[in-house]
Amino acid sequence: MVGGILLRSLVWVGVGMAALPCAHASLGGNAASIDGETLAWQGVMNAEQGPHYLVREITNGSGMDIREYSNARGIVFAVSWKDPAPPDLRRLLGTYFGGYAAALASLDHPGLHRSVRIAAPGVVVESGGHLRAYAGRAYLPAEIPPGVTLTALR
Amino acid sequence: MSPQSIIRPAVPIAVCLLSGCLGGNGTSVPAASPTPVLNTTVLVVDGGPAGTSGAINHAYVTVNVCAAGSQMQCADIDHVLLDTGSSGLRLVRSVLAAHTVALTPLADAANRTIEECMSFVGGQTWGPVALADVRLAGETAGKLPVQIMDDTSSDAPPPATCGANGTLINAVSGFDANGVLGVGVFAQDCGQACVAAASPLPVYYGCTSAGVCTAENTGLTEQVANPVASFAADNNGIIVSLPTLQSANGDASVQGTLTFGIATQTDNALPAAGVVVLGTDASGDFSTVYNGAAAAIPALIDSGTDSYGFNDPTIAVCATGAFVGYYCPAIAPLSASAVNTGVGANAMSSTVNFALADPNTFVANATAFIDLGGGGGSTTFTWGMPFFYGRPIYLGIDQRTADIYTGPFYAY
Repeated sequence: MVGGILLRSLVWVGVGMAALPCAHASLGGNAASIDGETLAWQGVMNAEQGPHYLVREITNGSGMDIREYSNARGIVFAVSWKDPAPPDLRRLLGTYFGGYAAALASLDHPGLHRSVRIAAPGVVVESGGHLRAYAGRAYLPAEIPPGVTLTALR
Repeated sequence: MSPQSIIRPAVPIAVCLLSGCLGGNGTSVPAASPTPVLNTTVLVVDGGPAGTSGAINHAYVTVNVCAAGSQMQCADIDHVLLDTGSSGLRLVRSVLAAHTVALTPLADAANRTIEECMSFVGGQTWGPVALADVRLAGETAGKLPVQIMDDTSSDAPPPATCGANGTLINAVSGFDANGVLGVGVFAQDCGQACVAAASPLPVYYGCTSAGVCTAENTGLTEQVANPVASFAADNNGIIVSLPTLQSANGDASVQGTLTFGIATQTDNALPAAGVVVLGTDASGDFSTVYNGAAAAIPALIDSGTDSYGFNDPTIAVCATGAFVGYYCPAIAPLSASAVNTGVGANAMSSTVNFALADPNTFVANATAFIDLGGGGGSTTFTWGMPFFYGRPIYLGIDQRTADIYTGPFYAY
């Protein structure tokens, strides 16, 4: 979306978009959790308010690009990631990580995967790629605002 | 044990004797030697190593491994999964132990053990990096950094940041394999991104004797490496050749050939005409447009994936049977097509027509299947094992030249 913005700068870079200190919330988290969390990814965050949701995008100089989508109630209903490094799904999925990991462990065909789609209670996780290029997303179907299509959540 | 005795009968011994390769350390082959080394080894698609069941579309190779510099601690490790989608050899510790092969872990400058967390989607392998002498056919990669998959939890436990993708998959049952042979388009698994990152990637770790592990940058020569790139010759790539399957509903097993080198010997030429060469980006992906989609997506040709892997929400997903999660088209076979285009200098294009069967019609005890699809939700296109049956697949290693093409590339 926007790169090259200094960490912690507070410069308006476009209508409705600002560079902010890099906080983050995991899936299902809320605004309060965002305020309370640390600068986990050592990146730069930009926020953009759309008609249906707020997108926070966190990037760093190493190619990481994480987006968090929160609805009108402030709930993070989706996260997406692109990263040459392995994504930290434990952090991104928050309390949903356990259900995701359990569903993974029960896949019929074990082995090497380059993509998985896991529908665990309350959450869908789509994860793919390989070292040097991981990508994926996770979302809470019940919290997606009306009028938002899944294709928008990338 | 003499050097010769480690070569099993599956390898034509006479050829190796002529080559003078046995016992070599990969760097001592005389430059003037006119006799090529044996550069082919057998690939098998079957039900997997002893004690496992249910492996499908897994191509296996047997790898000869010795503790670095040792001609005593050697073993043939069977059923190592061939993975063109990763780079580096990973071996299950309990399998090595059963063969009484003990590899010595590498230490970093602070004398901590170098361990690796390798994230395959859905889980990760964890364990130390160790040096081994690795032999495939007549080719040797001496003092090669390999990963020991620590299924016996003999070394430091994985740190919290390793486990962030799902579960550990260190055991034989994790991959239905005794190891993974990554022969992808790169010489190392991580490359420069793990050498000098401001914040080290959660890939390589330094682990103290107390078992405390911290992510750290690791030089290229200490990263887990593609053995092919370390061969003295035939080191610019590979050719994977698997035959056309006999039955649309699955073959019991299949045998093929893994060839080392491209255009280095008389048996590994790149065809002058009719071959599609697809250069990749720095991540190892070319691009694919599926069924006329608006956008191209990253793609690779991947023997480590058992199916065509791509997202098409219009195709039904199997809800019951042995293939839950794979595609179960309502009317099978379902025809599909995609256009592959290379990246960079090798920017050819080709249209691939393929089909998806209903896997619930597959033969129960077969292990090799064409027309198997899956990967709903994927943002990439993975040309998995079905793509390999009946067409040789070439992989050119990064910065190595094969014929007139420079890697990284895939070709078919």
